[in-house]
Amino acid sequence: MLLEQDFQGFSFDLFLRNQQLLRRWSNESKERIENVLAKPPRKTGTTIAGVLFAGGVVLGADTRATEGNVVADKNCSKIHYIASNIYCCGAGTAADTEATTQLIASQMELHRQAVDRDLVPVAAAMTRLKHYLFRYQGYISAALVLGGVDELNGPSLYTVYPHGSVDQLPYVSMGSGSLAAMAVFEARWHEALTEEEAKCLVYEAISAGIENDLGSGSNVDLCVVKNGGRAVDYLRGYAKENVRVYRKPTGHVFARGTTAVLAQELRKYVQVTRVVSDL
Amino acid sequence: MADSASSFSLTVFSSSGKLNQLEYALKAVQAGATALGIRAKNGCVIATEKRLPSALADARTIRKVEAITAEIGAVYAGMGPDYRIMVKKARNAAQKYYQVYRESIPVHQLVREVATVMQEFTQSGGVRPFGMSMLIAGHDEEGPQLAQVDPSGSFFFWKATAIGKNMVNAKTFLEKRYQDDVELEDAIHMAILTLKEGFDGKMMEHNIEIGVVGAERRFRALTPAEIRDYLGEVE
Amino acid sequence: MSQVNPLHYNGGAVFAATGNQCVAIAADRRFGQAQLTLACDANRLFRVHDRLVLGLTGLATDCLTLAERVRMRTNLYRLGEKREPKPATISALVSALLYERRFAPYFVEPVIVGLSGDNKPYCCSMDLLGTPMETDEFVAAGTCAESLYGTGETFWRPGLDPEDLFEVTAQCMLAALDRDCLSGWGAVVYVLHSEGVTVRELKARMD
Repeated sequence: MLLEQDFQGFSFDLFLRNQQLLRRWSNESKERIENVLAKPPRKTGTTIAGVLFAGGVVLGADTRATEGNVVADKNCSKIHYIASNIYCCGAGTAADTEATTQLIASQMELHRQAVDRDLVPVAAAMTRLKHYLFRYQGYISAALVLGGVDELNGPSLYTVYPHGSVDQLPYVSMGSGSLAAMAVFEARWHEALTEEEAKCLVYEAISAGIENDLGSGSNVDLCVVKNGGRAVDYLRGYAKENVRVYRKPTGHVFARGTTAVLAQELRKYVQVTRVVSDL
Repeated sequence: MADSASSFSLTVFSSSGKLNQLEYALKAVQAGATALGIRAKNGCVIATEKRLPSALADARTIRKVEAITAEIGAVYAGMGPDYRIMVKKARNAAQKYYQVYRESIPVHQLVREVATVMQEFTQSGGVRPFGMSMLIAGHDEEGPQLAQVDPSGSFFFWKATAIGKNMVNAKTFLEKRYQDDVELEDAIHMAILTLKEGFDGKMMEHNIEIGVVGAERRFRALTPAEIRDYLGEVE
Repeated sequence: MSQVNPLHYNGGAVFAATGNQCVAIAADRRFGQAQLTLACDANRLFRVHDRLVLGLTGLATDCLTLAERVRMRTNLYRLGEKREPKPATISALVSALLYERRFAPYFVEPVIVGLSGDNKPYCCSMDLLGTPMETDEFVAAGTCAESLYGTGETFWRPGLDPEDLFEVTAQCMLAALDRDCLSGWGAVVYVLHSEGVTVRELKARMD
């Protein structure tokens, strides 16, 4: 049955239909469907960043997801699991960063089983990611900050661009807030960062993005991989400096019966007591 | 000579209604080192003899108990290379399932996947059946489960079972000893004792392998040091 | 441009919110063709199983196709696994079905609500490419999603009981529909709670 469920690459069977619909309904460029939709696909308009320190790597991300100018998710998670010693921050179209990191995580688990090791090299994940993204010529819009620790190279930090190019640097940032974050790095980064200093620096870089970039917002998530890749601190909600204020403590209470109801029905759950057929 | 003609082609029945190649595949299984499994109250154990081709072979490089997912593992009797291929296919199937449903594949589904592949190799052209039977042990929402998959593609779930060379004796031994409420630790002892029946030479940590999955739902192969401790306990 | 856009062409809005041991989902009833209203008995809520509802807005043809495909896959799951899928499992499945068409998508915005075995509420929305957004608050989709987010931010609060959750969900929906030409013409609210599903047809503006 899994044959039917296999993901055999993307399906394009609605492509022509969609082109025609959009041609009929819109005068704008048909280059990419996303550009003419009333509500574009969810983006992570994002500040993501990473810094190396002596014993490991710190990754950071904001938590805002947007649909156009609407905040679709105030607390989304942008630091994705790749392997027990590798994590990956994603910026770009949310569906792409999510699906791409999940696919590579699967491949890394298979790779780990095949080579019969506890930890896979970060470079292996980076190579898979860049080959995959290059194959789709930038159409899969995932901009990634990949970090982890392995036995081969120790702490590693990469950025992977949507077209498949890769940078390897001691401090990196990506996404619409990357300039704000990089400004902080350029001013404050130095070579002998301790773990605590590195966390603090990444937090400040992400905060700069949250405050100065409109596409980034809400909280700061951090993820520290250290101890040869055998320890991970995933700090979801490391800083929550943008909680909603001026909210009525009791909330707005509607008296029961406020809403006019035309018809009402209670559909009770079916209680399965015994399964007769066993296929 | 209808039967001799049919014995060349896997997909042709003999005049007695059998697929001869399948019978031969089962013979390959029965020639293989004994493997066994026990389903305990709170987990599963699988174990096997590890017969080395030569005294010069490095025992550490031969692995018979393999993890398929975090909570499912397998062992086999029969042809090692065939098993290796099936382990790979099973791991792939598990990841594909995970990619669609974002939850780990249940034991029953994985067993069915493996059995489906085994069956395909009894009905396709240009292939031969898998020359091994597989024991799959796992612990999911349904609790601990132990399954056996044969070259024909049929599969069974067991409380305890054995495959390979010493299968008949081992099964008799298990039938006598098995209790429904056996604890995992006792099941591990029982597995070792069963394997000891008809074991060629002295049983050591490097010539058997044991895999366990307990209530924490993490499958793992025991290390030689752990096996040595268990061997000491059953002495 | 919005009324000639595939996501808004047929109109439609869905809102879902969690409560204490319960979850609610509301949908409007209008089925239109741009600014022409064709029917006011559109169904946007699809029963996956007793404790799981899939809400779909967007291009009606794609909503129906996706709903049917989800139904087929759920049935296959049920037959194969001899159990009901969990809410998160169906979310993952819908997400996979949508992302498969990353470059030629269905024009839909799914919302999935359900109760797990211990009556824990589950609430999740997706964009048309299948990015799941699970929340323990509320989600909105459709032509007046922006208004719905506004009413939700104002009216919703944590820990609502089934009866209060109904009032909040209904009022969030009705208030948002009041400012939307493309959705409305009646609304329906499902509240999933420990006893069963209470289905209520709301009195709404018919203009």
